[in-house]
Amino acid sequence: MTDPKPILKADDLSKRYEDGVLAVDHLNLSIYPGEVYCLLGANGAGKTTTINLFLNFIPPTTGTCFINEIDVNKDPLEAKKYVAFVSENVMLYGNFTARQNLDFFAKLGGKTALAKNDYYQVMRRVSLQEKAFDQRVKNFSKGMRQKLGIAIAVIKDAPGILLDEPTSGLDPKAATEFLEIMAELKNEGKAILMSTHDIFRAKEIGDRVGIMKEGRLVMERTRQELQYEDLVKIYIDYMKSEPLAV
Amino acid sequence: MTWTIARKEILSNLLSYKFYVVILLASVLAATSFFVMTRDYKERLADYSLIRPKAGEPIAVNPPNPLSIFAKGLDEAMARSFEVDRIGVTVRAGQKSGNAIFAFFPTPDFLYVVRVVLSLVALLFGFDQVSREKEAGTLRQILANQTSRSAVLLGKWAGNFLSLAIPFALVTALGIAVLGLDPDIRFSADQVLRLALILVLTLIYIAFFLSLGILISTLTRRASSSVIILLFIWVLLVFILPNLGTLVARQMVDVPSVRALSEKREQVWTREILLRIKGQGDMPSHVRTISAENDALEADYRIKFDRLVNLSKNINRISPVASFVYAVTEVAGTGIGEEGAFKREVVRYKNAVLGKMLASPNMESSEYPAFLYHYRPLGRVLAGGALFDTAWLAAFGVLFFALSYLAFVRYDVR
Repeated sequence: MTDPKPILKADDLSKRYEDGVLAVDHLNLSIYPGEVYCLLGANGAGKTTTINLFLNFIPPTTGTCFINEIDVNKDPLEAKKYVAFVSENVMLYGNFTARQNLDFFAKLGGKTALAKNDYYQVMRRVSLQEKAFDQRVKNFSKGMRQKLGIAIAVIKDAPGILLDEPTSGLDPKAATEFLEIMAELKNEGKAILMSTHDIFRAKEIGDRVGIMKEGRLVMERTRQELQYEDLVKIYIDYMKSEPLAV
Repeated sequence: MTWTIARKEILSNLLSYKFYVVILLASVLAATSFFVMTRDYKERLADYSLIRPKAGEPIAVNPPNPLSIFAKGLDEAMARSFEVDRIGVTVRAGQKSGNAIFAFFPTPDFLYVVRVVLSLVALLFGFDQVSREKEAGTLRQILANQTSRSAVLLGKWAGNFLSLAIPFALVTALGIAVLGLDPDIRFSADQVLRLALILVLTLIYIAFFLSLGILISTLTRRASSSVIILLFIWVLLVFILPNLGTLVARQMVDVPSVRALSEKREQVWTREILLRIKGQGDMPSHVRTISAENDALEADYRIKFDRLVNLSKNINRISPVASFVYAVTEVAGTGIGEEGAFKREVVRYKNAVLGKMLASPNMESSEYPAFLYHYRPLGRVLAGGALFDTAWLAAFGVLFFALSYLAFVRYDVR
């Protein structure tokens, strides 16, 4: 049996901004089907920059991002067919209903032949209340918008999912529901990269957890390893440690 | 993808109150313009019925052009009364707008509504297309998919263009249909074709301003910055630049004043009459001399005036708004080119009448030929500059869209 190929892969990835800040420093990362990788780190550690590099929102200084073995920088449109994205604050069209938003983003994601019921089914799956299906999104709470963001990712049915601090600002119930859906997606074989500040949930859902500091991946542990280690302590120790030598 | 984005833009517009306010405003203004200008046309038509020459009278009067309802241009100047006598042509006021308010404010014709109001409306549709989506965060969500930036930009342009063009074309078509029910207003097939062309020009004009709005939107990070920059550009393009050429050209080309020209004519006339009193030559030869010298004066004036006009037009074309005005008025038959052709026709008529007068001095007045002006055919109008102005306007629209694309490709969506 051949080894599974990573869906999301960062190969010696670096990003230095115009102002000289090195946001990502020689990052190597591979996320396989059915795996959740949680990236922990303080603000400015390079988590969001990594996701922006995967989405080709910014070009890398060196290195390469691959999605489903496609070089993101060389063929971004083809690569993005295989990835879905949920941001910290899922921003949608306030004047549109949940279904209209879902319909629009599904079409952008290449799903052009979906029926009304398909949308309702996905919204039920992410536990969005039925009465919200045809309501305008401008009245939605953050939790509801995040669920709709996940619904957009679900309906795209891409093998890779990028989540940028998706549970930030959610109440515990909403965050738990969110992570339950993530677990389901993982079981379906999706490769998930999630940047987060939430150490507890990272430990709970992550098959692997990495800590980023000043753009570098300074630590990586598997779920098994974390059974015997205190992730909170490791995280705090890294955050307290001296700045890394450039 | 482009059509998905375009559909989203159309739906987004249909769900926003801004769309209905703007469409209502444009509709009310267009309807008001049609109403006011129809009344103006009818008044001038009534004047024409009153002053039109009886059969054989050596007077050249052109009826008002029904297309002046849409673009009045120089129609009033062309509808004056040109009376031929032995010393040349006497120009009378003819049919002038009875509405005194027109002297203080620009004529509120369809062209004015489009030029000023619709350009602003198009900018309102375009000014925040990219910056708003960036501020809202939806641009990231869109571009996280396999959607190219060109598809996003083209979709936005197409969606907003259709949102604006379809209601506007419907309102205009309805207005024209209502005008068609008026028994006093009759459009020939040629005029209907010209109207259709004016509508096409209007759509190109909307497209130009929409492209400009989107361009500025891609160059700014905030919609508020975009709106301020666009308002400044709008004032410059619509009000300042199209008048700049005339001021500059006047400094570069000397054209004698109409008063000086008139004075010169008087001198010629006095000289010839004095010669006649002295007994030198017969009356017909003096009349011919007066006519020939007046024609030479007029031709010389026309050459200088045309030079001034051409230079002004070329400078004014810095603003594509000027090109739009030139193209629409020429197509409507109320432009500078048509007025020049009309004046030449009046001179030809005068010479024909004078020729008859001198050939048989005792001829009955009923034997003079009637004046009938045929507007230049559309093909000649287009070849005479309207096509260039249309292409110029369209080229600016394409250029601005291309620049928006270049800016959007580099746009930081984070």
